[in-house]
Amino acid sequence: MNDKLYGIMAEFDSPAAVLRAAKAVRDAGYRRWDVFSPFPVHGMDKVMGLGNSLVGWVSLLLGAGAFMSVVGLIWYANAFDYPLIVGGKPMFSEPMTFVPSYIMLIMGGAVGSLVGMLAFNQLPRLNHPLLSKPRFELASRDKFVLVIGVKDDKFCLTKTRQLLEKIGGNAVTVVEDED
Amino acid sequence: MSHSHHHHSATPRLDLSGWGFLPSFLMTAGGLLSVLGLLVSWKHGVLFEFGCSWLLAFMFFYSLAIGALFLVMIHHLSGAAWSLGPRRFCEHIASLLGWPLVLMFIPVGLFGHQIYQWMNLDPATNNLVAAKAPVFTIPGFWITSGIFFALLWFLSSRLSSLSIEQDQTGAPSCTRKMNFHSGWGIVALSLLLTFSSVLWMKAVQYQFFSCIYGVYFFSDCAWIALATVYVVSVILYRQGALSRVLHEHCFQNIALLLFGFTLFSAYTEFAQYFVVWNANMPEETFWYLIREHGNWWTLGLVLIFGHFFVPFFVLLPLKIKTNFKVIVPVCILVAFMHALDLAFNIFPAHRSEGYHLRWIWLPVGVFMFMGGFLANVFLMRFHSHAAYPQRDPRLLEAMGMNPNSINDLAPNTLANSQP
Repeated sequence: MNDKLYGIMAEFDSPAAVLRAAKAVRDAGYRRWDVFSPFPVHGMDKVMGLGNSLVGWVSLLLGAGAFMSVVGLIWYANAFDYPLIVGGKPMFSEPMTFVPSYIMLIMGGAVGSLVGMLAFNQLPRLNHPLLSKPRFELASRDKFVLVIGVKDDKFCLTKTRQLLEKIGGNAVTVVEDED
Repeated sequence: MSHSHHHHSATPRLDLSGWGFLPSFLMTAGGLLSVLGLLVSWKHGVLFEFGCSWLLAFMFFYSLAIGALFLVMIHHLSGAAWSLGPRRFCEHIASLLGWPLVLMFIPVGLFGHQIYQWMNLDPATNNLVAAKAPVFTIPGFWITSGIFFALLWFLSSRLSSLSIEQDQTGAPSCTRKMNFHSGWGIVALSLLLTFSSVLWMKAVQYQFFSCIYGVYFFSDCAWIALATVYVVSVILYRQGALSRVLHEHCFQNIALLLFGFTLFSAYTEFAQYFVVWNANMPEETFWYLIREHGNWWTLGLVLIFGHFFVPFFVLLPLKIKTNFKVIVPVCILVAFMHALDLAFNIFPAHRSEGYHLRWIWLPVGVFMFMGGFLANVFLMRFHSHAAYPQRDPRLLEAMGMNPNSINDLAPNTLANSQP
């Protein structure tokens, strides 16, 4: 297909309409498509077959890493490199390490969530082909936009357009890829 | 059956499929064990075994009722719709704080001399007891406990009766009044549960100080209540009593809160330990030193893993929270761990060398008796009212019909939902 294309977008007026359209697009066998709505549409994740996000694993990894590294740092500083008696406590004890490690666990988890979210969303980026369409902005107001990407194996300029029109899409528009 | 005359209020009687005898059986068998325990512990001169077992079971069901009352209040204050389904049976559990738990409390007071060492001490020679006068006197104990119960009785019965009144009238004023009582009630509840846990449970070792004790008790109240709500919701959902108002996301939310309180209770328990550990003052450390001896040490480890690590990691994945086969066993673990945690607080005062496992039948018997009795009261109330609020303003939303998107639904969908 044409490399200069991003996909075809269509507008819908209500959550129920876009949900029905999404079902039709799924049933037609499309795989690389997305829906944009002003608010979450119940049941859309199931129709789109969206699984659980992988961001949690990045959070877990960074959180656990931060926790362990602070425990290690405290052990290294207090019990190994320069043993120092403070308040008659043991050189190394779990309760002693817990508070700073826990705080760094939260920090690591938060950074992991942010970085993971950005990475999986392929952000930050300067522009997106869909932003060239003024009507796409309505997806954050009162319209529901469904986009079928050109990278989909079943993508066909005429047939995909026909499908979107048949399932009730308004203002069906071809989106160019400027990159 | 309910005698309400408007459209879908009748609660079908729960199909307990052969388990209906259980509460009465538990009550009878547990009652016999309790009486036997009373006699045997009296004969051996260890009446505190009976007193502490009774206190343990009482604190368990008291914390459950407190947690349920908290959930009802938070439902009103947050204006949530999803929690409408479990609300009615939470109201019934919370209103156990009336005469049923008052009855169950009386033996705690009667055996006070066996449970609470401070009752046998002369304030004239003990500064720690004298400093806590006039509460730490026999009349002070009864009067303070009476005030706790009077307020809790009022709060729980108001929230329950207004909710039931709305089933009949549908009056919006009921919702406003419930919001009002939840508003001042949640402040009162936080104080009441703090004071009561200090007076009834922490005072088993009157010498101990811990500012976070009330928060720690609160987090466990919410924890056990959420586990109970999950299990009861599953049963009522399966039975069809709540299938119209419970959806997947309700179970998701309850399990999410259960997960949150798993973390929070570990946080509060650790905070108490950490402050005592760090300050290293003998008047506080003695509390934990006792619990490092005998099988209390083992119990401490059981709690670290069973009360925190196991439920924490099991509840962590997103999708697991709606899997009944996994979460219901976790809820049973939660109940078990909560009981052990309370025992960890109550028993070591009298058994610093470790718990004598040959007495284990006694707390089990008291648990059976109290659980059976309270379950009977609960079932009686559950059967005499609708299973969920019938005319609450948030009912439509709780049923999954967002009023804002109703126009989007195909006309026949709406028509089908009308009785």
